[in-house]
Formats: sequence, structure tokens, C-alpha cells
Amino acid sequence: MRNYHFKLVSIILVIALILVVCTSLSAGQYNLDFIQVVAWCLHKMGIPLLTEINVTEQQEAVLMFIRSPRTVVGLLVGAGLAASGAVLQGLFSNPLADPGIIGVSSGATFGAVIAIIAGINSTSLVGLPISAFIGAVVAVSLTIGLATRHGRIPVLTLLLAGVVVGMLFSALTAAMLTIMDDHKVQQYLFWTIGSLDYRRWEHVLMGVVPISLGITIMLMMARHLNILALGEAEAKAVGMNVTKYRLILLAVATMTTASSVCITGSIGFVGLIIPHMMRMLVGPNHRRLLPASMIGGSVFLVFCDSVGRMLLTNSEINVGIMTAILGTPYFLYLLRKNMDIR
Amino acid sequence: MKKVISVNNITSGYDKHKIITDASFDINAGEFVGIIGKNGAGKSTMLKTLRGFLPVEKGSIKLFDRELSDYSQRDLAIQIAYLQQQVEMTFDYTARDMVMAGRYPYIKWWEQSSDRDLEIVEACMKYTGVTELADTPIKAMSGGQRQRVYLAKVLAQQTHVLFLDEPASGLDLFYQEEIFRFCREMCNYGKTVIMVVHELNLAARFCSRLMLLKEGTILADGCPDAVLKDNLLTEAYGVDICSLINKETGHRDIFTVPPPDDVDKKQLIATIIGNNKHDGRGANK
Repeated sequence: MRNYHFKLVSIILVIALILVVCTSLSAGQYNLDFIQVVAWCLHKMGIPLLTEINVTEQQEAVLMFIRSPRTVVGLLVGAGLAASGAVLQGLFSNPLADPGIIGVSSGATFGAVIAIIAGINSTSLVGLPISAFIGAVVAVSLTIGLATRHGRIPVLTLLLAGVVVGMLFSALTAAMLTIMDDHKVQQYLFWTIGSLDYRRWEHVLMGVVPISLGITIMLMMARHLNILALGEAEAKAVGMNVTKYRLILLAVATMTTASSVCITGSIGFVGLIIPHMMRMLVGPNHRRLLPASMIGGSVFLVFCDSVGRMLLTNSEINVGIMTAILGTPYFLYLLRKNMDIR
Repeated sequence: MKKVISVNNITSGYDKHKIITDASFDINAGEFVGIIGKNGAGKSTMLKTLRGFLPVEKGSIKLFDRELSDYSQRDLAIQIAYLQQQVEMTFDYTARDMVMAGRYPYIKWWEQSSDRDLEIVEACMKYTGVTELADTPIKAMSGGQRQRVYLAKVLAQQTHVLFLDEPASGLDLFYQEEIFRFCREMCNYGKTVIMVVHELNLAARFCSRLMLLKEGTILADGCPDAVLKDNLLTEAYGVDICSLINKETGHRDIFTVPPPDDVDKKQLIATIIGNNKHDGRGANK
């Protein structure tokens, strides 16, 4: 018998969130103490604590224009990816589903490659993200179109269609890469690894509306998701229009993931692992699981980004690499644990 | 008596594969109908068709004098609760989460569950005796406990009609009888229960009416004593079946009569058993 401790987990998550944000603001090549960051945050919020600690103008500029947007992008994208992952896992009643599996990432990557080839990314900041977003939406629409039969979307068919569409878009991307200039391939590689580097307030502005909107809708649909997660037969028995709700939730999860991926490049494992971990801690009820996953995703992504900046002295490790390094062992552990049950 | 379901000459099945052919019957309020028949006779298909899960090729089904196809999915879920044969769950939902699912058709899409819903859920769990298990994941329960949770969920749906597909399979005798008693009690309160049953002895004791299916057609339909006849059962199940009243208990006993051993079988037995004496020392002589 297992008890889920929602309140305790929430408190721990919020504390972890605050710690990780301060760490992220202080970590990096430009020297800033943890305590200075805390003081700066308190001053900004108008709380008269730690008034004796000063922050220089240069430090403030770094905090304001380099570290803050980077951290906020991390929070947003982490929350978006993890919540989408939780939604997709519930939607398919399959604990191994993640945003990548229905073709979002490969579609976005293809869109990004097209933008790089066309040179849109060097002329405009929003060109590449928009192109990536369109690629993701096209790929997911194709997946759903392939999987829909007589107004029904069977889960297994959808997952297989997702794999096939993913392969198609990866092949198209590879084809583009072979005809691309070397320096453009370099840009592609930089994008595909997924990073929070050089993210500015413009990126935050780009992502904040679609991601928060997506997350709000998901939270509102949590009760429906609970029913869907019981399986198609149960959902029908209590009178749910299964196809309609599957489509709505798929659309919302796609929009959120695509908005996240198009700002940061593809970052794996967050959407897969965080919902899993949170399900173990707070249980499968989405009214608790979704908020816990959001905060958990933010903490994990910003944490990975901070660690990536602290490990090497002169350089930094991209967050996409860090999530994979920290995520792979956990994923393997999950797989082995699932094997033990069956 | 009030007519609940009225079935007129229906044919249904999966895609092109017809399973139920030309079935007609009426079911009245307060009846406890057991659908019996051997494996593959179309019992579950009948139940799914009546619930509107399978398309009706021919004929019509009326629920409270209104065509079944005129109901929305949600309206149907308010009229009929359906407990499927095997509930397969991926995630570790607790009993309370599961029972709460029964309230789904009553809550508008933008609303959250109210205190009233919670009250009904608690009452249903108390009635089926799973209040202590409310926060336990369903996967951690025994088969009998699980079935009690599902019954609570079906109750929470507050429907007039209950459909149960083999709810007693694989359970201890105690739990089996409990489910039948539960259904009869519900019928006494005016609900209508239709159940797919394998346990003929229990069906004979508790159901008010039995419907015997053979290859998708209704072979017999009526009170248990009229349906549980040797010749009808023998025809439906394809083996010799004897049905008689036990003088000690007053209950009906139903059992198969094995055919006498013929020459072929004797030879087979000789081959299978061999003529070694089994004294625990194995085959080495």
C-alpha cells in the first residue's frame, strides 16, 4: 500500500524551485555570489532584508539581461514539456509516451533546418522558432491524420504513426543536411542539441503566451484526463466523447511542446521522466500530477542548465546534453523496474 | 409494469462479423436478468449492443420508449451504468478516484466535482464496504475488493439500469454471492439489472429471469425454472446437462453428465497413464 504526500511534495518542490532559480542566477562565468543573488531578488521585491549586501551595476546588468531571461525561459520550457508529457501519457494510458513520440521534435527540427537553409534565422530572431513551430504542427497533424480511422484514434496506431512520421521527418532533415553549407550545419547542430544559451527577453515574450495558455487549458482539463487515463472502454462507459477529448488534448500538448521546442531546440527526457517521477510521488490523479509535473519540470530543467554551467570552468554544457546524461540512467531504471512487474 | 428496454428484431456484431441475429425481447423495471450461454454464444455482444457500444445492423432498441441512437453518449451514461468484463488500468488510481469517475456524466465539462458528488462517492463506497480502501491504489487490492470498488463506481453513476459483464468471474464464493445479493437488492429498490453470468447455480438462485443464448439467438427466455431445463441446457451448451432441485437446500443443482468411456478413450488412457506403477521412484526400474 502506498500513500501519496501531495502537500509535502508541493512544499519541497516550491523550496527546490526557489533554490534552483537563485543557483541559476548565480552560476556562470561572470562572478556572482549566491547571497548577492538572494539579496538582489529581495531588493527587487521590495523586501528590506540583506540591505548591507551590494550588487554592482555591471552585476545587475548581467542578472537582468543575461541570467534572468535564461532562467525564465528554462522555467517556462521545463513546465511546458513536463506538463505536455503528463498529458500525453494520460491520454494514451501509456507511461512511456512523451512529446517526441508523436512527431513534435522531428517536425520542429525539420522546420528549423528549413529556416537555417533559407537564412531566416540570421535576419530575424523569430524566424527560426516560427518555422520550427510550423514543422511540429505539420508533423503531428500528419500523425493524427494517418492514425484516424472511422472517427476513432486507436492508441497503438497513433504511437506507430508517430514513429513513422518521426522517421520520415528525420530522413528529410538528413537529406537537407547533406546539401547544406558547413557553417549552416554547425548552426543546425547548435540548435538541435537544445540550449538555454543567449536566450533574451524576446524569447520569453515569444513563449510565455502559448505555453501559459497551454498549461492553463491542461489544468482545466485534468478531470477529463483522469477519465481518459482509465482507458477507452471505461471512458465510454461513463459517457465521454473519447475522440473529441483526445483531439483537444493532443492539440494543446502539441502547441505547448512546439512552443517550447522552438525557443530552446529539442530537449529530451523532461517530458518523459518528470511526469513519471511525480506520479510516484503524488499519484496518477492529474489534478495533482499536472501542477506537480509543471514545477518538477521547471526545477529539473533549470537545475540541469545550472549544473551544465558549473561543471566546466571555461565553457558550458548544453542543457539538452545534461538532461540526457541525468535522464538516461533514470529511464533505464524505469524500464528494468517495469520488466520486473511483467 | 414499466418497460425499460424494448428490443425488436436486432442483428449486430463487430464490423461484418454478425454475432446477434434476430433477437427480440422486452425488459421491465425491477427485473434481474441473467444472460447465460456457453463461451462465444454472444452474451457480452448482447450487453454491448444494448449499451450502444456496437452498431445495430437491423431492428431497433428502445430505452424508455426512445430510440437508443437518439441518446447522446452522456445521456446514455446517466441511464445505464456498464461494468466491463475486465478493467485494465495502466496507472495506480485509488478507489476514490475510480468511484469518482462514475460522477463524470453529471458534471459539466468546465465544472469540477462538487461536495455533493463527493458525498455520493463516499456513500457508495460505504455501501459496498470499501471506505477503508478509499486511498488505496486499485492495483494493490484483491480481485474481490476491486470488484466492490467497481460496483461502488457503477452505483455512483446513479442510473436506473445496471449492466454487468461477468462480474463474479474468478472470485471467491463469498464475493460471488455478495455480488448477486447486491444486484437483487438493487432490483428490490426498483433498479433493473442485466448481467452476463457463468455461474448457473447462482443465477438460478438470484436472477428473476434468465435468457439463454446459443450462437447469437435466444434459445429460451423466462423465469429460471422455465429456462434451466435439461433439454434446453443440453442444446445450448452441447453437452449433457442435468438440472434438478436439491432436496436438502431447495436450490437448483446444475451439472454435466459425462458420456460413458468408449473403446477409444480406454486406449488413450492406457497410452497416457502407461502401465508403470507410480510409487514415487520415477521411471528407472
